Amino acid sequence: MRLALYVTCLVDLMRPSVGFASLRLLEAAGCEVIVPSGQTCCGQPAWSAGDRAPAVDLAKKAIAELEEFEQVVVPSGSCADHIRNVYPQMLADDPEWSARANKLAARTSELSEFLARQPGFTAPAAFDGTITYHDSCKGLRGLGIKHQPRELLRKVSGLSLQEMSDCEECCGFGGAFSVKFGDVSTQIVDRKCATIAEVGADAVVGGDLGCLLNIEGRLRRRGDQTTRVLHFAEVLAGGDS
Amino acid sequence: MTHAKHSQAMHFQARAAEKVRNPVLQRALQKAKPLFVGKRAKGMAALGEDGLEFEGLRSACVDIRNRVLADLDVWLAIFEERAKATGAEVLWARDGDEICDLVIDVARRHGVTKATKSKSMLSEEAHLNEALAAAGIRPVETDLGEYIVQLAGEAPSHIIAPAVHKTIHEVEELFAKEHGRPIETRTSADIPAMAREAREVLRQHFLSAEMGISGANFLIAETGTAVLVTNEGNGRMVTTLPKVHVVITGIEKLVPTLEDFATLMRLLPRSATGQTISNYVSLLTGTRQPGDRDGPEKTVFILVDNGRADLLGSAYQDMLRCIRCGACMNHCPVYFSLGGHAYGWVYPGPMGSVLTPLYTGIENALDLPHASTGCNQCGTVCPVRIPLPSLMHRLREAQTERGLRPWSERLWLRAWAWIARRPALYRWFARRAARYLGWLAGDEGRIQVFGLAPGWTEGRDLPVASNRTFHELYAARKRA
Repeated sequence: MRLALYVTCLVDLMRPSVGFASLRLLEAAGCEVIVPSGQTCCGQPAWSAGDRAPAVDLAKKAIAELEEFEQVVVPSGSCADHIRNVYPQMLADDPEWSARANKLAARTSELSEFLARQPGFTAPAAFDGTITYHDSCKGLRGLGIKHQPRELLRKVSGLSLQEMSDCEECCGFGGAFSVKFGDVSTQIVDRKCATIAEVGADAVVGGDLGCLLNIEGRLRRRGDQTTRVLHFAEVLAGGDS
Repeated sequence: MTHAKHSQAMHFQARAAEKVRNPVLQRALQKAKPLFVGKRAKGMAALGEDGLEFEGLRSACVDIRNRVLADLDVWLAIFEERAKATGAEVLWARDGDEICDLVIDVARRHGVTKATKSKSMLSEEAHLNEALAAAGIRPVETDLGEYIVQLAGEAPSHIIAPAVHKTIHEVEELFAKEHGRPIETRTSADIPAMAREAREVLRQHFLSAEMGISGANFLIAETGTAVLVTNEGNGRMVTTLPKVHVVITGIEKLVPTLEDFATLMRLLPRSATGQTISNYVSLLTGTRQPGDRDGPEKTVFILVDNGRADLLGSAYQDMLRCIRCGACMNHCPVYFSLGGHAYGWVYPGPMGSVLTPLYTGIENALDLPHASTGCNQCGTVCPVRIPLPSLMHRLREAQTERGLRPWSERLWLRAWAWIARRPALYRWFARRAARYLGWLAGDEGRIQVFGLAPGWTEGRDLPVASNRTFHELYAARKRA
């Protein structure tokens, strides 16, 4: 299968290893992976700010560069949700673009749901230790991603998954919210860090880099220098990229 | 809008900063949250025992509420006619000031000097207690939580748990002062004793007040009935002992039939407190009839608009389905970081972030629609499926359309979007940004003070894993 990997702007800038891990996993699943060279950002920041015009421009740009692929895979629940659930709604009044948005939406998957759908796929990596999984809001409530990353992770040899309490609670990231209302956001992520500390796992794993940066940033500020904070793709692909 | 003057919603940021730094408040909130969430989850899990299922019930409730809103004028006319037939008077108020005028007028007609009140958020919209006091009528809140906040001189911070922000020690201090006794050390085991103490004080008010003021959870059109859903029993005292009973409620609270009300009752208490049914459900229809042992001699309905009619047919109509269960705030990470007072007006949490700008003016509550992480916990638990995050999003767009966002924010966004439409230019900027972040982060790989986003690094580090972008590394790898 020939598919497009949409790495997301945050992975591009903040953590390229998530992109390379995704690439390796998709190749291991037997896919021909193209990284469309014009990709930048899905436009969610503009949409969330309530600035429709630039959000629409960036949506159309992404649709135009991704629609030729049989599948588009995104290592982020939040960006995948934006493409799959928001684009069709945003462009609903424009017959031509609405059809194109719907077509792309139907072909877009978040990475864990895509991998979980591939028969016989097993992660190539091993992981020595316990992890706890944080469910990101958009993936969980927008795309129904819950069991997929867990199923994939459970198959990693040496890895044991220990759930934290309230794993479905928001970490307080919320994009611009984390900067606009920094103190409120910190208050929320502090509770998340407390539930992580209760579990005492070697690593916190999740599927959205925004949440992971938020959680890691707060853990470190609280003085926890050892709990690793990883994207599930990094765990599944193993090693460094 | 008359009540913009009472709203403190423009000061959300400052209030929020104060609330996150209040350890007493934080303790109270952290204690309450798991109770709310746990009770609702248990209540919903038990639906199956009654042969019910959440999504199906939800759809039925949505249909009932939508049916009312589609022909609200007709249902209101039916309600008015049926309520009058039971001997009640039906009055209409456009806004909070009119509510106050009408209540004071009724009070004067009946020589009222004291009014007992059961919970009414609409009386908060109207600032009725202040108006009554100014008119020489003493309002006495009789819901335990409302009694506490009235003693404290505060507004309720939650629509069903008005004093959720108070610790037991704060309540003890208020009671000791009001009830003229020394302060004692209290634990949660003393709550029944403290409630009894309040009850004894309130009993004298129940017996001596000439007027009772209540809200209504629902109005039933076919019977002209007001429904009160309560747990403490004070609602019955307020609505049956005084000679005059005034019901103040929003025009959107109508449901067509008793049957519809019964359907909504399947989800209201479960969503609010996890109860299958509340301790008291009172259906109040008309005045005392010959042969009746109790009930008011006079019943007055005050049906209030205060911004509601403007939402009919608008992009925000879904909000009028709200049945005031509080589940949205009970599951909101922002609400539980701040408590209700930070929101600055009557309604807190996600429903408040939608209602406050709509009822007091979009320009008077600019922060509220942005005070959300977009987690959609609220939308997931709402019993009438109100898309709260989408409504907040519409309000954000309305702010942009009306030029209410700060120019600097718009400039940044537009510049960033302009660059993001030009991949080559975007790559150039991204590469430079990666270098800069990598340099700031140093060997430790994290930034502790970041001038471009001080809100982030105030409470967190910014982890930086690489000083090269993905696309840069990927291109290099392909060349190799």
